[in-house]
Amino acid sequence: MSTPVLEIKDLHVEIEGKAILKGLTLTVKGGEVHAIMGPNGTGKTSLAQTLMGHPHYTVTSGQVTLDGQDILAMRTDQRARAGLFLAMQYPSEISGVTTANFLRTAINSLRGEGNQIPLKEFRDRLDETMKFLEMDPKFSNRYLNEGFSGGEKKRNEILQMLMLKPRMAVLDEIDSGLDIDAIKVVAKGVKSLNGPEFGSLVITHYQRILSYLKPDFVHIMMDGRVVKSGDYQLAEELESKGYEWVRAEFSTPL
Amino acid sequence: MDTIAETNTMAPLEQFILDHYGQEPEWLLARRRRYGSLYLELPLPVRQRTPLKNRKLDRIPVLVSQPVTDISPNSSMFNLVTVNGRSVHATLPESATAQGVVLLSLREALRQSPELVQEALGSVVDDTVDKFQALNAALWQDGLFLYIPPRVNLTEPITISHYATADATAVLPRTLMILDRESRATVNEQYVSEAGLDKCLWSCATEIILHDAAVLQYGAIQQLSASAEAFVRRAARIGRDARIDWNIGEFGAGMVVSEHLSVLDQPGGQTYSTTVFFGSRSQHQDYTATARHVAPHTASNMTARGVMKDSARSVFTGVTDIKKGAVGSDGRQKEKILMLSDTSRADAIPSLLIEENDVFAAHAASAGPIDAHAVFYLMGRGLSETEAVRLIVHGFLAPVIDTIPVGALRDEVWAQVERKILE
Repeated sequence: MSTPVLEIKDLHVEIEGKAILKGLTLTVKGGEVHAIMGPNGTGKTSLAQTLMGHPHYTVTSGQVTLDGQDILAMRTDQRARAGLFLAMQYPSEISGVTTANFLRTAINSLRGEGNQIPLKEFRDRLDETMKFLEMDPKFSNRYLNEGFSGGEKKRNEILQMLMLKPRMAVLDEIDSGLDIDAIKVVAKGVKSLNGPEFGSLVITHYQRILSYLKPDFVHIMMDGRVVKSGDYQLAEELESKGYEWVRAEFSTPL
Repeated sequence: MDTIAETNTMAPLEQFILDHYGQEPEWLLARRRRYGSLYLELPLPVRQRTPLKNRKLDRIPVLVSQPVTDISPNSSMFNLVTVNGRSVHATLPESATAQGVVLLSLREALRQSPELVQEALGSVVDDTVDKFQALNAALWQDGLFLYIPPRVNLTEPITISHYATADATAVLPRTLMILDRESRATVNEQYVSEAGLDKCLWSCATEIILHDAAVLQYGAIQQLSASAEAFVRRAARIGRDARIDWNIGEFGAGMVVSEHLSVLDQPGGQTYSTTVFFGSRSQHQDYTATARHVAPHTASNMTARGVMKDSARSVFTGVTDIKKGAVGSDGRQKEKILMLSDTSRADAIPSLLIEENDVFAAHAASAGPIDAHAVFYLMGRGLSETEAVRLIVHGFLAPVIDTIPVGALRDEVWAQVERKILE
């Protein structure tokens, strides 16, 4: 497998006629961990949802490609099959469908007709992955996200990511509401995929998870675009100085 | 078809009854005439959310008689089959006949046990309730009669198929079941029809009498073609400590008005009811489930789950009716409806009518659209939209369908759900 490349070029997005993303440009390659930070309401979640094709968001201009393929022309399920994954900030609760049953259906959807995963292989991988993420085995027989605590939902997103093995993952506030032990487990999960065939874009408010993930690039988003990029140092700088510092710098030319 | 006649005057109706039912006992002929005239007198039923006026039901010829032919598919798989309302065969396994179980076409039962039929016919279902019920009482073609003797425990389900051919215009079967004291049985009725060019009027009646401590697992699956306009009425009288479980799957017909009623007029009687329905295209479905608590310490629990897509329309009314004197009774109901399209419509109407203080009653009802975010979430994991909707619908229905105790019925309900999702 080749190294994936996600390219976002001058992306403009609206929601119900209101501009949310205003010319965002970003490239994520396999082997790289990118972090996006920024205050609330600057379009971080909108970016994640747009990348996955949420029908609520309308792309008005710009391009997004994965390995040169135009993903904006794809349906959400086609994007997933192309190797894109979004760990959601608020995962849906699906009543009556067990986590195990859902995961098997999802894996088989990605593998396609006639290439279904054998049950034994599936069970083994599921058991192994859940053990790795320090999850209670009973978890897989519970209905998907139904009655899960915030932390359980986030862990379940990582479980899904490890089971589905995407090539490019967007993690939307995967750390919010987690205690330090849970953050370590989540970070361990993400790092286990790291390598030339996996790229990730981590959206967060907090520096803490980044201290475990050690991103190669940190971007600061404000008002629908990336206003500042740097290396991991930038996250530490933000932690000590706060967003006001960036805001001041960013708004001077305006 | 050998006769079609005007239906709006008494003379041809009377002549039709004489021609086709003339051999029947006098009491029954008189009964048919009485309901025939009631049918003519009564206006179209008024149903608040189901306008019947523009369905042109009066244009459907009802004075028809068709030859008895068994052309229904898989006929031999059923214990009893009616085709266009006429019973074509009735068979029971030897183990059942050896225990004294009786399964006959209703007309044959009239010959063999006239007193029993006379006593029971119309004693549970109210044939005066509306025009189409009166039509069934006047012109029922045939149907079945089932009798389970005291203490007999029938383990194998009794299966019944009601089938109609494409040219049928009026199908009026009648089911009469008597479970004697402490007996147990499972009965599944199925309704299937060929797609016709013209509308076909179905009016079906199922009457059930449960003597003391009898237990009936009653199942029904309705998968009539879109040309069917169906009126279905079922009622059970539940003896002391007796119990009925209704498991009803509703999938077909262009329009259906269906009611099932449990009359709990002896202490300790229980009724459990599960209705699963799935409407698509321009189907109109109007269901009513009623538990009437008359005696003390009676219990009812009614559950309905429905899925609506395209421009289908449904109404589900649950009625928990607790009469004065039904002390210590417990009546519960829960309805949930999931809508897969913006153009479908559903109403869930729980109704508690309580005249007694010392009772427990509870209801919950909801109708709402499928969660678009959940569909997106599942598609984000690679599931196609159809597959995502399918999973959500499965999850929605599973807690109810999986409680259906009869395996074959449960599988058939799932198969129908699957068919409707992909339709």
